Amino acid sequence: MLQQDSSDDTEDVSLFDAEEETTNRPRKSKIRHPVAAFFHLFFRVSAMVVCLLCELLSSSFITCMVTIILSCDFWAVKNVAGRLMVGLRWWNHIAEDGKSHWVFESRKESSQETKTVSEAESRIFWLGLIACPVLWVIFAFNALFSFRVEWLAVVIMGVVLQGANLYGYIRCKVGSRKNLTSMATSHFGKQFLRQNTGDDQTS
Amino acid sequence: MAEAEESPGDPGTASPRPLMRDLKAVGKKFMHVLYPRKSNTLLRDWDLWGPLILCVTLALMLQRDSVDSEKDGGPQFAEVFVIVWFGAVTITLNSKLLGGNISFFQSLCVLGYCILPLTVAMLICRLVLLADPGPVNFMVRLFVVIVMFAWSIVASTAFLADSQPPNRRALAVYPVFLFYFVISWMILTFTPQ
Repeated sequence: MLQQDSSDDTEDVSLFDAEEETTNRPRKSKIRHPVAAFFHLFFRVSAMVVCLLCELLSSSFITCMVTIILSCDFWAVKNVAGRLMVGLRWWNHIAEDGKSHWVFESRKESSQETKTVSEAESRIFWLGLIACPVLWVIFAFNALFSFRVEWLAVVIMGVVLQGANLYGYIRCKVGSRKNLTSMATSHFGKQFLRQNTGDDQTS
Repeated sequence: MAEAEESPGDPGTASPRPLMRDLKAVGKKFMHVLYPRKSNTLLRDWDLWGPLILCVTLALMLQRDSVDSEKDGGPQFAEVFVIVWFGAVTITLNSKLLGGNISFFQSLCVLGYCILPLTVAMLICRLVLLADPGPVNFMVRLFVVIVMFAWSIVASTAFLADSQPPNRRALAVYPVFLFYFVISWMILTFTPQ
């Protein structure tokens, strides 16, 4: 099965992977999977753009289109973008006795090969992943307070689907560290220290 | 979230064509719904893509052809969506509260997939409505909808009934009956402009 995977991998890698043969120098700023990155942002942004076009077109058409685009976005981000761009994945597993549990995985970095997650891709991925649900929440409040209840269904769907991906990937990123708050405080602590030592050096 | 599967291979490598894999899984479950037998496929490898496809198809077919379809009394796209998903969530909560040992998404999966016969009924009704309207037309549609409704109920109880304790089965099946009844009603009362 491993061999079958690798032969199919080359088939798929040629579609998604823009780089040539691996070299020794680490490529942190190159986008390795341009198609995946494009579709990651394309579906998210077009869902919002179509929603904003609600003034021009009939509401049932808009609702249908946004639904389809949101579903494509969910599938693309969950199955393709996360795996290729940042090496994370999450899914649900039903055990033999019928209990379901959620699995969140992140790819281990091996020290020999080059850092396989490029910074640019990671930044694009997380930017798209975090900014869009926030905007959908803003749309939700807008729909709620302007009493346009017919849009509420669509907007709630946007919030739920994109929020689910956000939650899943954050849990993957946090990984074995159970406590999200300790992760946050350590991150901000590091930022604070870096700022202070940076100030000391420049002054 | 929308499927339960173990993605083969390392995260970070391209798994062999996930789209085809997902489509094949959806197709396999459609077959299981059309020929319901005691099997665990719908429950073990649940996914919500099939229900989504069916719901979108049903909602699209329930649209009227007229341009100013805002106030003609037919269900809008969002209404059908909300009825289907909210109804499925309510039934799932009901069955969980009655002590069922099925997970939330598994139940949604089964209920969603068992809309397939009713979607086929909708398709047949739309074709039948291309002919002259009249009592014969209505009788044919009524017959088709009743048959498909019974098929949906049989398929969903085949999968869901085992998850309930025996003395609560009727209480768990009754909301499913109502759910598919409402969808069948929407299909039967559909008239294009």
